[in-house]
Amino acid sequence: MLKGYLCLVLHGHLPFVRHPEHENFLEEDWLYEAITETYIPLISCFERLCEEKVDFRLTMTLSPTLISMLNDPLLQERYLKHINRLIELAHKEIERTSWQAAFQKLAIMYLNQFCKARDTFERYNRQLVKAFKNFQDLGKIEIVTCAATHGYFPLMDVCRASVRAQVKVAVSQYESVFGRKPRGIWLPECGYHPGHDEILKEAGIRYFFSDAHGVLHGTPRPKYGVFAPVYCKGTGVACFGRDLESSKQVWSSIEGYPGDYNYREFYRDIGFDLEFDYIRPYIHPDGVRINTGIKYYRITGNQSPKEPYVPEWATETAASHAGNFMFNRQKQAAYLYDFMQKPPMFVSPYDAELFGHWWYEGPQWLDFLMRKIVFDQDELRLITPSEYLAQNPRHQVITPSLSSWGWKGYSEMWLQGSNDWIYRHLHVASDRMTELAKSFPQTDGLLRRALNQALCELLLAQSSDWAFIMGTGTHTSYAVRRTKEHLLRFSRLYEDIKSSSIDPNWLSDIEYKDNLFPKIDYRVHQ
Amino acid sequence: MALFRKIKQKIKDLVQKEKAKKQESKRVRRAESQEIKKEILGAQEMAVEQTKFSHPETAPFRRTPPTDLPYQYDRDRMILQVRDPRWLHTYWEVAPPTIERLKNDLREDFFNAKRVLRVYDVSDIVFNGENAHSLFDIQVNEFANNWYINTQGPDRSWCVDFGLLLASGRFITIVRSNVVRTPLEGPSWITDEEWMIPDDMFARLYGMGFGLGRSSPVGKAWQERVRQVLFSGAMASPGMASMASPVKKELKQRKFWLLVDCELIVYGATEPGAKVSVQGKEVALRPDGTFTLRFALPDGRQVMPVKAVSCDKVEERTITPIVSRETKISI
Repeated sequence: MLKGYLCLVLHGHLPFVRHPEHENFLEEDWLYEAITETYIPLISCFERLCEEKVDFRLTMTLSPTLISMLNDPLLQERYLKHINRLIELAHKEIERTSWQAAFQKLAIMYLNQFCKARDTFERYNRQLVKAFKNFQDLGKIEIVTCAATHGYFPLMDVCRASVRAQVKVAVSQYESVFGRKPRGIWLPECGYHPGHDEILKEAGIRYFFSDAHGVLHGTPRPKYGVFAPVYCKGTGVACFGRDLESSKQVWSSIEGYPGDYNYREFYRDIGFDLEFDYIRPYIHPDGVRINTGIKYYRITGNQSPKEPYVPEWATETAASHAGNFMFNRQKQAAYLYDFMQKPPMFVSPYDAELFGHWWYEGPQWLDFLMRKIVFDQDELRLITPSEYLAQNPRHQVITPSLSSWGWKGYSEMWLQGSNDWIYRHLHVASDRMTELAKSFPQTDGLLRRALNQALCELLLAQSSDWAFIMGTGTHTSYAVRRTKEHLLRFSRLYEDIKSSSIDPNWLSDIEYKDNLFPKIDYRVHQ
Repeated sequence: MALFRKIKQKIKDLVQKEKAKKQESKRVRRAESQEIKKEILGAQEMAVEQTKFSHPETAPFRRTPPTDLPYQYDRDRMILQVRDPRWLHTYWEVAPPTIERLKNDLREDFFNAKRVLRVYDVSDIVFNGENAHSLFDIQVNEFANNWYINTQGPDRSWCVDFGLLLASGRFITIVRSNVVRTPLEGPSWITDEEWMIPDDMFARLYGMGFGLGRSSPVGKAWQERVRQVLFSGAMASPGMASMASPVKKELKQRKFWLLVDCELIVYGATEPGAKVSVQGKEVALRPDGTFTLRFALPDGRQVMPVKAVSCDKVEERTITPIVSRETKISI
């Protein structure tokens, strides 16, 4: 008998990093790593489930910047080079570990993984976004959108025109890629500010996600806590609150699954472990060591030296963790069902990059979990937010609280000593963009291009990723540079437009570099 | 007097900065098109979201230093933002002409005045400057242009003025911020419920013959039970810090450490075109007949027969290096 619903949400996002002027730009690796270790394993997982007729459900975000990068021919080409290099490295590793059976087995495993990645990539004609679209069209996954460049909305409330632009640009891109309007949105960092649901409603979005306290501290108090969505007062946009119990099991650094001793150790990568001259062709050309993705050790324990990874043990552990997760949700559901007199809804969102990249066995866990839920029991059902709302339309009306799922639950991560200086500039730029949008209701030609590009530059500057990186304190110079670069490009465009002295060569150059939204319309920024 | 000179100097500096900025931006326009910036960064992963941004560490190298953003935008402006239920952040800017005007109007009083942030509680009112529920002052130094404010509480609305507190006690507002509201720190005390069903859904249901009143089947007693369940230890959301923060896996042990491993390079040469095998496995020769093999060398003994057979398969030679490794660890 149905006792509860489980909505798994994977949030896939990477900031827009594309440097055509450099042949080998380090930060572009973020994308290639994610493709090899997260997106392709997820696609393979979904393929297997579909082949075997497992009627699963999953919700996924593909952020607009991620979509832009996955669809960009230059980056696709570079990915191919990247994976070919890894395949070459894996071959060498198989040779090198001839006298170490435990490691050689793993080298072969990686070779297979990389070859499969290349094969999948080519099979979909390098269009990984289409792969996800297929699964959505089959009704197995629901893809929600995210803000255009992952701007953090609570700190953009003073310039709502920018929030509007972030949402509208995202919705437009979604429509052109997926052939229909998005029904839901993942607010960046679950950053909700009261009133922003109006903007979502304007764009036709029916639901969003927030952290638990966004719903729990809403006004009035939610009767069912986070175990049912709520409608925002005044707009009727639904808000799904995160279930902390299920989150903790995966996210927690103390008791979460990814820390199990049988799982692969993230920090022992051959890019760092091996002798310099040998590994040199596979790390950064300037000789700086980076992650390759080939890691031979398992976590083993806290203090002990690390032992070689044993894939069979890890797979078994993933299966048992999947069973454990399902068991816990069943218990939780049965308990709540008695109180609520209706099945609770568990919303369990995770960063997509957790699966495969950080937690190597993540995709396996997901696979086991979904199979078990579909075949081994009938108390829990996997569901997407749209399906749930269609079947359960009546909910309480509240005003959710300002909240985020970031550090400490509010905005401190993006508003602290290392990054508070950016807002002065971002807000002025936003006001200026609104001024431009209002001053030029109709344009074409060079002026129109300049206005569109100005909005692109503003959006890129607003990426919350930059403030986040500055907040973490490590390798902040890239983030600072990007913020300044885009703000300066915007300022220059602003001045040039106002003085009617747009430089067509310079404009073409930055259009080529920052090409993420070719169909953008600057007029959405008002 | 000294203060007066300081201010004069500051204004001079600002003007200089403006000039420099204009020149700099001209240079940048030229430089940008030829920039070759190379930045090499370091690897040190801390948390899942951070591991998306993993890369190694070295000093940044820039051919052209990036131009900087302007110090200010020459307008009177004050923006207030919420950081969390108790803290606000504000930044402000006062245009030079405004300062000039104040100096002229106030003369000596200007230099004796304290720079002050006046924080008003303006919850649920239309603020006209006078009708705040309460207020408190924070003195700031004369070069501050942003501040973190610890308010007296969550779920209140706030507004901030930047102004001068004269020796006489008179406060002059120079610039006023927008109004913001801090969120609740815990569950709301309001428990009246409102329910809805979206119009299109309702139309469907109505059409199917459902009548939907606004009756709430939940009595006060049940609400209490739900509240207890929600806010007892089992499923409480405080402790948000660990929930909300990304996974922090065990960092590499910061204790002193040493890792040592050995590899063996086996290399040789024979006539080009010959076939060579090592431990029975065939090895590719370079066009000049040389070969190199590289192996991780574990503890133990490795016996490596290297056999070469001439291209006409008439002659063969075998040489067998034997290598052994043992490892002693002393602490």
